[in-house]
Amino acid sequence: MMFKRKKPNVELCDYFENYEKADENALLPPGDLKEFGMDRGWCPYFLARRMVHFANVIVCSYQYLLDPKVGGVICKELQKETVVVFDEAHSIDNVCVEALSVSVRRSTLQGATRNLNKIKQEIDRRFKETDAERLQAEYNRLVEGLALREDLSETDQWLANPALPHDILKEPVPGNIRRADHFHDLLRRLLQHLGGRLDTENAEKERTVSFVSSLNSQARIEQKTLKFCYERLQFLMLTLEITDTDEFLPIKTVCNFATLVGTYARGFSIIIELYDERMPHIPDPILQLSCHDASLAIKPVFDRFQSVVITSGSLSPIDLYPRLLSFNPVVSRSFKMSMTRDCICPMVLTRGSDQLPISTKFDMRSDPGVVRNYGKLLVEMVSVVPDGVVCFFVSYSYMEDIIDTWNETGILKEIMQQKLVFFETEDVVDTTLALENYRKACDSGRGGVMCTMYFNCRGKVAEGIDFYRHYGRLVIMYGVPFQYTLSKILLARLEYLRDAFQIKEGDFLFFDASRQAAQCVGRVIRPKDDYGMMIFADKRYSGIDMRSKLPGWILSHLRDSHLNLSTDMAVLISREVNPKSLLIPQETEKSLNTRRIGEDG
Amino acid sequence: MSNQRKRPNGEREEDEEEDDAEGIGGWERDYVDERSWEALQEDESGLLRPIDSSAIYHAQYRRRLRMLSAAAAGTRIQKGLIRYLYVVIDFSRAAAETDFRPSRMGIMAKHVEAFIREFFDQNPLSQIGLVSIKNGIAHTLTDLGGSPESHIQALMGKLEAAGDSSLQNALELVHEHLNQIPSYGHREVLILYSALSTSDPGDIMETIQKCKKSRLRCSVIGLSAEMFICKHLCQETGGLYSVAVDEVHLKDLLLEHAPPPPAIAEFAISNLIKMGFPQRAAEGSMAICSCHKEVKIGAGYTCPRCKARVCELPTECTICGLTLVSSPHLARSYHHLFPIAPFDEVPTLTSLNDPRRKLGKSCFGCQQSLLGGGNKPGPCVTCRKCKHYFCLDCDIYIHESLHNCPGCESIHRPKSVSMEE
Repeated sequence: MMFKRKKPNVELCDYFENYEKADENALLPPGDLKEFGMDRGWCPYFLARRMVHFANVIVCSYQYLLDPKVGGVICKELQKETVVVFDEAHSIDNVCVEALSVSVRRSTLQGATRNLNKIKQEIDRRFKETDAERLQAEYNRLVEGLALREDLSETDQWLANPALPHDILKEPVPGNIRRADHFHDLLRRLLQHLGGRLDTENAEKERTVSFVSSLNSQARIEQKTLKFCYERLQFLMLTLEITDTDEFLPIKTVCNFATLVGTYARGFSIIIELYDERMPHIPDPILQLSCHDASLAIKPVFDRFQSVVITSGSLSPIDLYPRLLSFNPVVSRSFKMSMTRDCICPMVLTRGSDQLPISTKFDMRSDPGVVRNYGKLLVEMVSVVPDGVVCFFVSYSYMEDIIDTWNETGILKEIMQQKLVFFETEDVVDTTLALENYRKACDSGRGGVMCTMYFNCRGKVAEGIDFYRHYGRLVIMYGVPFQYTLSKILLARLEYLRDAFQIKEGDFLFFDASRQAAQCVGRVIRPKDDYGMMIFADKRYSGIDMRSKLPGWILSHLRDSHLNLSTDMAVLISREVNPKSLLIPQETEKSLNTRRIGEDG
Repeated sequence: MSNQRKRPNGEREEDEEEDDAEGIGGWERDYVDERSWEALQEDESGLLRPIDSSAIYHAQYRRRLRMLSAAAAGTRIQKGLIRYLYVVIDFSRAAAETDFRPSRMGIMAKHVEAFIREFFDQNPLSQIGLVSIKNGIAHTLTDLGGSPESHIQALMGKLEAAGDSSLQNALELVHEHLNQIPSYGHREVLILYSALSTSDPGDIMETIQKCKKSRLRCSVIGLSAEMFICKHLCQETGGLYSVAVDEVHLKDLLLEHAPPPPAIAEFAISNLIKMGFPQRAAEGSMAICSCHKEVKIGAGYTCPRCKARVCELPTECTICGLTLVSSPHLARSYHHLFPIAPFDEVPTLTSLNDPRRKLGKSCFGCQQSLLGGGNKPGPCVTCRKCKHYFCLDCDIYIHESLHNCPGCESIHRPKSVSMEE
């Protein structure tokens, strides 16, 4: 071992130490790793990582394969013949894009400055103490271009490179950052420059190339140097034996940013925004490096593995995905749901009982007629459908406004006579509580209405909460879940898609909205004998360009007579068709029909 | 001819329906999907007949029978012959809806009346009580009793719907009542639920567990839509949950509960039950009857233990509590335990020269000819034991009402004492 632990009173993790001491050929545990770990005193996390070598089936989240920062843990262990299946991959392009995006705020910069100060302290301390040989050894190794610590296996690099494996230059670290204090000075200059950029008056958008050149001219940082920022930071922190990784997250983010900016010229944009859209009066400048090209992150997966399968319940339209991810599919198939009878009843509702069209289009949102019609829809449906009803709204502000108005006009009271109403809020604890109580209400027969969002967090689509069986007998989609079209990131992405992939902006927006809607609707039907109704309440759903993008399993049950309905027609359909005919088992249904013919009644 | 006259009428009705497609009223809905007037045929004599209904009816009946006997599968199933059943009717505001005509309330009352009569017909030793749910509170309409008239009168007395419905209150009330009955009786609840939700004062899951512990078998017939809590209740207590689609279906579902259900194994303890078989009092004898507290002359029964007079059987003696029955009542319950095996279908393509056919070309039960149109062998069934042939109508009659095969009964067995005609 090159570096012995000279500080005996440093806190060690017993579990990790025991794990390390265990022999290579030690018996690997069956069953629950945590329990096993508690018994033997081995760290279950590292045990799991070791078991990746031996496992036949590995279940992990997307990031382990797509995000270069953590991809090393699993990806390197897998052989070429592995079959990779991405399940629920309808938003895989979003995941790819986010894996390579970084955002830097004022708070990040402040944190990074603090981190740098601490690093500087450590460097000075070591120069003064006899430990200077460590830094010297590090320098020597960097000159020779060797890896720093041999005893750590490759997968144990807890600071992996954020750029994709094939984009990392296999060269020794350039000379101007080999010494620790030079590197430290470079980082300081970088932070200053970024701080200066955040002080702008207008929102800006520029390409990475121009950003790098401005960095060069103003802060005298070259592009090649930028590429090695992350690696160099990693070495430095290992050398200085800094262990609290959480505290040093901001500087990691900044180096992450720098490396990505330096490595990629195409497919990224730098966007500087002055405030958060929800609170335009509070200045909160943010510098975002956003990736627009989803194919970058997934390319290594396609290259490395022999078979990759992308599957989901709402991959529609299916031909858009190969274009977005830049690959040629060998097989592209779409299956219908195989059911013996109609277990879902989708309906498209375009007007209220007073025949006024309803929509969540921005200009129509605050129209009192529309709000009232939406309210009346909920009141009527709640009196016909048992157990749970789920309502999806487009945004928190919209939901709050509309529920306020319903409260004032007394519609909420009418709803509450039939079922209890629960809302989702931005607070996670509140939402969890609301969900739990909603389930209790459905279980005990009181019935509940759950008002929730299409997107669970801004921009991210969190799956997780399923409304199957009696928790979701009816789903009402209030409006079309278009993304916030004034967001600069979205505009930049749309532009890039138009230029690089020839995908029209309108097409992409409709596609995104319909997959989101289909995903929300799909959460209502899980087990095979489940049944439910879905109402798409917006006049834009009846247009062919929106409707054609819904997945096949919804479209096959969407009868023409269920398009363009008004509230009273929808109530009639739900009263007559659904709750009764869906309940009786198949044989009884057939025998009922024959009996009707035979009897004289 | 009559057919042609029907056509213009049929078409006119069609037009009317298309005119107000959205405002289809209650009775019209029944005819929208199946226009039974169009499914008519003329037979050779010019009379109108629906298309081969009898065969379909019979096939459906046999399917049902097969399902039931498949469940029995030759084993003796212990059934609860002495049943204490509470019928809970939901009179909340949902019962006033008019999707059943004239209203859910009216239909429920009518069919419950038919059910009560049928129930006492098939289970003369059992008792029924009625509970209603109104305004969120459960009321006892009648206590457990064995006379159909008093129940029906109480039911038809007040038919009004109001307020919320509360399943828990109903279950608590029924549980309280049924806890007091002796252990040999089977405790059952039949709930006719028309609301879509239940507003309960406490935790209904606890109540369900209580009912399960007390061996209460709860079944629910829903009139609106399937609710999770009802399904859960029925699953936990071992009852049946079904939802009625229309009037006819509701009647069928109700009548399904008339024959006794199989007993739950752990709870079916065999007991000896004391019963009295009273003698009919002589004509002209005078006594104060214990049920009406009036002087009655003539027809009545005397309790063998305490010599009190009761007016009708079966009943419980008001003085000493002895169950008083007469032997036909017991006999009527007997066939539930020993059901008659289903008859086998005879394949209709058997030629007339088949040796088995020598038993006759007419039905053993009604002596009608078994040949269908044109001297070809029509559909018929045969009993496994006595090998006699029966027509379809006799088959249905034997299995549903008679519960004895006339062929088996008429086999001459010189050695055994019984079963001789």
